[in-house]
Amino acid sequence: MNAPHEPAAVTADELAQRVARWRQAYDAAVPAAEPVRNRSGIELKPLYTALDWAGPSHPEDSGVPGEFPFTRGIYPSMYRGRSWSQRQLVGLGVPEDYNERARELLALGASALSFLPCNSVFRGYDADEVPAALLGTCGTVVNHARDMERAMAGVPIGDISTALNDPAPFTLLAFQLAVARRRGVPWSQIAGTSNQSDCLSHFVANHMFFRIALPGARRIVVDQIAFANEHLPRWNPLSIVGQHMQQAGATPAQAMAFTLASGIQYAEDCLARGMDPDRFLPRFTFFFDISISLFEEVAKFRAGRRIWARLCRERFGAKDPRSWRFKFHGQTSGVDLTRQQPLNNIARVTVQAMAGILGGLQSLHTDSYDEVFSTPTAEAARIAVATQNILREEAQLTEIIDPLGGSWYVESLTDAMERQILEHIDRIDAAGGMGAAAQQGLVQRWIGDSALAFQKRVDSGQQTIVGVNAYRVDEDPASYPSLAYPDATRMQAYLADLAAYKAQRSAAAVAQALDGLAAAAQSTDRNIFAAVVSAAEAGATHGEICATLRRELGFGQPLTVV
Amino acid sequence: MDSAADTLATILAGDRRRIARAITALENGSAQAPALRAALAAHTGRAHVVGVTGPPGGGKSTLVSALIKSLRAQGRTVAVVAVDPSSPYTGGAVLGDRIRMGEHQGDPGVFIRSLASRGHLGGLSRAAADVIDVFDAAGYDTVITETVGAGQSEVEITQVADTRLVVCPPGLGDDVQAIKAGLLEIADAFVVSKADLSDAARTESDLHAMLALRRRQDPLPPVFRTQATTGEGVAALADWLCARSARGTRLGSAEGRRARAVVRRAIAADAYARHLGLTLVEAGRGHATVQMTVGPEHLNFNGGCHGGAIFSLADTALGMACNAEGEVAVLIDGHISITVAAAPGSVLVARAEPVTHTRRLGIYRVVISRADNGAHIASLNATVYRTGKPLQLLTV
Amino acid sequence: MHERPPKVIVTKIGLDGHDRGSRVVAATLRDAGMEVIYTPPWQAVASVVKLAMEEDADVIGISSLATDHLIVPDLMAALREAGLADVRVIVGGIVPAADEAALLAAGVARVFHPGADFDDIVDTVRRLARERAHGATA
Repeated sequence: MNAPHEPAAVTADELAQRVARWRQAYDAAVPAAEPVRNRSGIELKPLYTALDWAGPSHPEDSGVPGEFPFTRGIYPSMYRGRSWSQRQLVGLGVPEDYNERARELLALGASALSFLPCNSVFRGYDADEVPAALLGTCGTVVNHARDMERAMAGVPIGDISTALNDPAPFTLLAFQLAVARRRGVPWSQIAGTSNQSDCLSHFVANHMFFRIALPGARRIVVDQIAFANEHLPRWNPLSIVGQHMQQAGATPAQAMAFTLASGIQYAEDCLARGMDPDRFLPRFTFFFDISISLFEEVAKFRAGRRIWARLCRERFGAKDPRSWRFKFHGQTSGVDLTRQQPLNNIARVTVQAMAGILGGLQSLHTDSYDEVFSTPTAEAARIAVATQNILREEAQLTEIIDPLGGSWYVESLTDAMERQILEHIDRIDAAGGMGAAAQQGLVQRWIGDSALAFQKRVDSGQQTIVGVNAYRVDEDPASYPSLAYPDATRMQAYLADLAAYKAQRSAAAVAQALDGLAAAAQSTDRNIFAAVVSAAEAGATHGEICATLRRELGFGQPLTVV
Repeated sequence: MDSAADTLATILAGDRRRIARAITALENGSAQAPALRAALAAHTGRAHVVGVTGPPGGGKSTLVSALIKSLRAQGRTVAVVAVDPSSPYTGGAVLGDRIRMGEHQGDPGVFIRSLASRGHLGGLSRAAADVIDVFDAAGYDTVITETVGAGQSEVEITQVADTRLVVCPPGLGDDVQAIKAGLLEIADAFVVSKADLSDAARTESDLHAMLALRRRQDPLPPVFRTQATTGEGVAALADWLCARSARGTRLGSAEGRRARAVVRRAIAADAYARHLGLTLVEAGRGHATVQMTVGPEHLNFNGGCHGGAIFSLADTALGMACNAEGEVAVLIDGHISITVAAAPGSVLVARAEPVTHTRRLGIYRVVISRADNGAHIASLNATVYRTGKPLQLLTV
Repeated sequence: MHERPPKVIVTKIGLDGHDRGSRVVAATLRDAGMEVIYTPPWQAVASVVKLAMEEDADVIGISSLATDHLIVPDLMAALREAGLADVRVIVGGIVPAADEAALLAAGVARVFHPGADFDDIVDTVRRLARERAHGATA
């Protein structure tokens, strides 16, 4: 009987010789060229071997998931224990339209919901304060608790996790809590995330969500965290967002660095408030853009996990291992999608989704291929969900935890990304932290420079975008179906309903609640978010709540840097 | 194309679209420009021109925005000339000052015009003087120029103003020295912005100390402290500005202010004065003060200030003083007496005053002294011939 | 005569606040030697008109990613009413094909879509500015 073949151990010298031989053969076949770099500027070699990575460089890195510093995954079981949540963004028209789409998704197997409000809501206005033509075209109009009730009709909000894309002062969460109280669902059961709670990222990179001047917004964020600590054990009050910065042009390494720096800032804000890190850190979550640069994204997430764990234990002094976990939601990047030959976007989204899954995310939104035209059609939205199902069920991507771990390339790339990320964080620390750096316009400038550099690479043809600067075909963009604008009559009906709602509620109760809100804002020790919840329950509208807080705390004017 | 007279009529009527187009025509040096300048000249001198400058990041735009609010509350109309640097390589510019004054974007009593710093015929000061004259003629009570005090040309613009404010962010500390050479000496007031920051008080006292050292004047220019986002200190500054504008003495009568408007255009157009780095401190009917910092380019082989530089300084002050009426006057006889060597690095001021005049001749005396201690350096006794011809710079 | 460089306003009206595209366009136009006034998002139509009037702008570039292009006709009307019909307007961003025709009919000079060639944008702006300078009456 033959003995099983055991590979002979290769010495470092022997390996170096093999690599040198390979290099000669490679150079003979491939002419010398400019180094290839990924989006973060890290050079990509044609081949990686054990010479590039011989094991974890950090003595504490045990190389297994679920243990500090969690490079390979935050849980021991990862997707074998529980799949990532499918959390598709839904938002359109009036509350009933949202309700219809949400119930459809739940029936298709979605385990979590994401609520996308109308731009008018993002800007802090009620539907009757903006041009009617702009209502409900990109998200759902919800202006008060009764609207929320209609949007969530038949949805078990005590069981399903909902992400409310709502920045400070978090009126949608307040409306959700009002609905829960009315239904008799205890607040302790309400699960979800305030996934646009990161006011720093809004100030820097997504002005869409920036409603209230930064100092006031930061205070409301901490107030909401304190409120959740006390009343909402299943709610993640803080989602630190890297998506905006990467969409605005930050490289993947920059996006991770700036996000972690924001996380540091919020942790410090909470510590300054006297909160226990082991209480607030377990409910910090993150939200990232996933570009099509597959391996770079995987390395980005692995490095992020490692760095955050270390920050939590050493910089913030958290002792509970649950406080060190880097939980994140990923969204495939709309910036990589093209208008030309839009069906190609399905392939792009697949690669992006893979990057997020292989990177170990906890929940995922996949874009629809027609995002570039308008709010997605129903068919395109179904394909986006199917993509996730195919990756999980057919490609078996969930069966192995951190399958790219141990790859010489991915491990050395993870280390390289980690180094760059730490350098960026140091620079922000030197500027006085993320709050200070943002107010000085530093971060904005770095992001703007990256965005311009990327555009130049595309313009020069250095970066090929299929269908845009190469592989072009003649096509008629009108041949792709796009979603019709919401029915104007439905919007008119909604506006009439809003007027009726305002007329029939108790004006005195609303006025009193808004006065209480203003008083909380003027005080230094009252919880503003608690006052928002009271106002919501008293029947105040979103626009009224935002207007009150803007008056007291200032309108959010982003710093414009070109 | 409309005649200069027609354009002037629309400007005097306050037609905002035509005001904007007239400014463009002057910027471009269009065929109409010389006639328009000449036509405007008779209608200038009413506005109070406030020059705001200072190091980058000092919060100038925010302060200007708050000042506008105060001035508007007092019923004054305000025009702003916001100067932004152009790229020396591409010539392009992002004109970003005015977006920081966004709170006034709906106010018809406020007119904001951006000016890129490059590519202007005759220099940036001249372009700014053109724009100021248009606003002046259009009837705006206050015209604010806002520039970054980083380059010499931006500093030159401030001499075109009646009142010059230098805005310093806190934390300048010893970098009060960083305030552009010559700027410290011609400023009429200083503003320490962002007063909420901890080193604001220290910056204020540093400025007081620096002024006491480098300027001999009684009283010294005031130092204000402001916090523009809350409005703290801004009302006091606005009140001081309004008092200055109302006061007859320094800025003179209406004719005096018209003379002032002429002189600011004159100094901007004087290539030789620019070459020597001479800046206008003040001027009125028949008198003028010009300043020079003795630099390495002014030194002779002995390492002392070249007599020709002293003479040029005196002559420039003289020229400003006697041409202020708008008609050409030329030096025909002058005697300079230099009593003390001017030290390199010192700041000299030359003040020209009339002694007497006949219809065709003017007798002037120019005294040059040190700005910091008043020490007498030189004096020039001069006779000028008044030609009766109008100043060319008003017609070109 | 010395012709000044094109003076271009890059702005966003309506509700959307995503401005990466408009920032990159503003920087590109600046690098092409133009004078650019770049505003924050959410400008009121009346403010854009006042801005164009005071700055004597040649071209207004509207960046629209959501459905804000639906109110561009309001801007065109306001410009005409203010005597600024000669100011050229271009729109860039996500505009469905059906709406593009409506915008052009309302007087918009050109609509740019994602993936547009930046040289094309620069050349178009330059051409439009030149047209205005030569056709403009005082």
